[in-house]
Amino acid sequence: MMPQSACDLTRRDLGRLADDEVGPVRRLLLSRHLRRCAACAARYEEILTMRRTLRERLPAHRAPPALAARIGAAIAAEARPAPIPSPSRRLFPTLLGPLGGGAVGALAGVALTLLVLGGSGAGDRLTEDVLASHLRSLMGDHLTDVPTSDRHTVKPWLSARLDVSPPVHDFAAEGFPLVGGRLDYLDGHPAAAVVYRSDRHVINLFAWRADPNDPATPRARQLQGFNVICWRADGTGYCAVSDVERDTLERFVKLVDRPG
Amino acid sequence: MTATDRQRRFELMALPHLDAAYNLARWLTGNPADAEDVVQTAYLRAFRYFEAWRGGDLRVWLLAIVRTSFVDWARENRSARLVFRAEPTDEAGEALPPLWTEPTRDPEAQVLGTLDGQSLATLIQSLSPEYREVLILREMEDMSYKQIAAVAGVPIGTVMSRLARARAELRRAWLAQEPA
Repeated sequence: MMPQSACDLTRRDLGRLADDEVGPVRRLLLSRHLRRCAACAARYEEILTMRRTLRERLPAHRAPPALAARIGAAIAAEARPAPIPSPSRRLFPTLLGPLGGGAVGALAGVALTLLVLGGSGAGDRLTEDVLASHLRSLMGDHLTDVPTSDRHTVKPWLSARLDVSPPVHDFAAEGFPLVGGRLDYLDGHPAAAVVYRSDRHVINLFAWRADPNDPATPRARQLQGFNVICWRADGTGYCAVSDVERDTLERFVKLVDRPG
Repeated sequence: MTATDRQRRFELMALPHLDAAYNLARWLTGNPADAEDVVQTAYLRAFRYFEAWRGGDLRVWLLAIVRTSFVDWARENRSARLVFRAEPTDEAGEALPPLWTEPTRDPEAQVLGTLDGQSLATLIQSLSPEYREVLILREMEDMSYKQIAAVAGVPIGTVMSRLARARAELRRAWLAQEPA
């Protein structure tokens, strides 16, 4: 039988062993003791079981969808003391769109796991802004201000509030049903956001009065797992953003940008 | 950097940790409404002092601010019961408790694997905040002792002893449960 002190010393370190917080030499000594001492081995097994059970079953609390929007608004208020010179979309009462709150929350979860931290040197200012707006729309309960697949409702609603009149179509037959429209703020100017769906993914199509600096030819970027395609047509700047495959987003862009 | 740049950069980097921040606040406060308030306060503080972040582990930095915000909230709104207390034994970080002293019996070891999530949650919620905190950070956030020490603002030795005590206390409460 092992001397008492060896068991005491071992037991003191079993938690660290289970947490992978011991050095290689200590690990070797502990493992050797555990092979010979059934009582210590049983205790170690208990810790492992406890850890496993907590990891697998303890319910994780997810941030409610509205929290990100609230934080975004609070930060914006702090960052920009002057009022935004456009009707803020948060001022508009919002009904939940065809995507229920739960679905949006789930989508936000997907979006979040795709976001990889680190230097985002690849992204330019517009692309980053588009992605940030896209993420905010998924996480808040402000995906749409006018939640309807009726383009005859969405288009006049947006036209009445903006200096652009973005093309709004229901591409349901092509796999991109219209979800609704929203006012947004992009790269320093108000923008229309027309919201589409592709299976369970959300596509935000932003449109604003074009700046001469906006690229006239389509330009595709990938940023943190999201695809962003921007182009310009007839004096209007566009960006489409989603976590759908690049091919799918290109197909969508061609539909939007088709002549006539 | 313009105000908008700063805001965008902060949101892109900090919002992905919102679930982790909320989860910690939710376990510490024990209810959704207070957790939201604590997280919002923390994020606003983080935004304000974003320049103070030295480019290390942002999740650790944010969760440390969530923790501070929770402490402030608990002082202002709640009884001292909720506030972290420094244990006298914390000072002697090296004097680790020898886990539990009772011998393990087989049925007991099995009980530790049989609780459902809701009962587990109730048990965790019954622990004192400093024990709850280390368990959440270790098992749900998968943080190392070093990371937990940075969030909680204590030496690594204290993290070790707290985790050991937290596990011993949890085990005691766990085994005291009526078998289903």
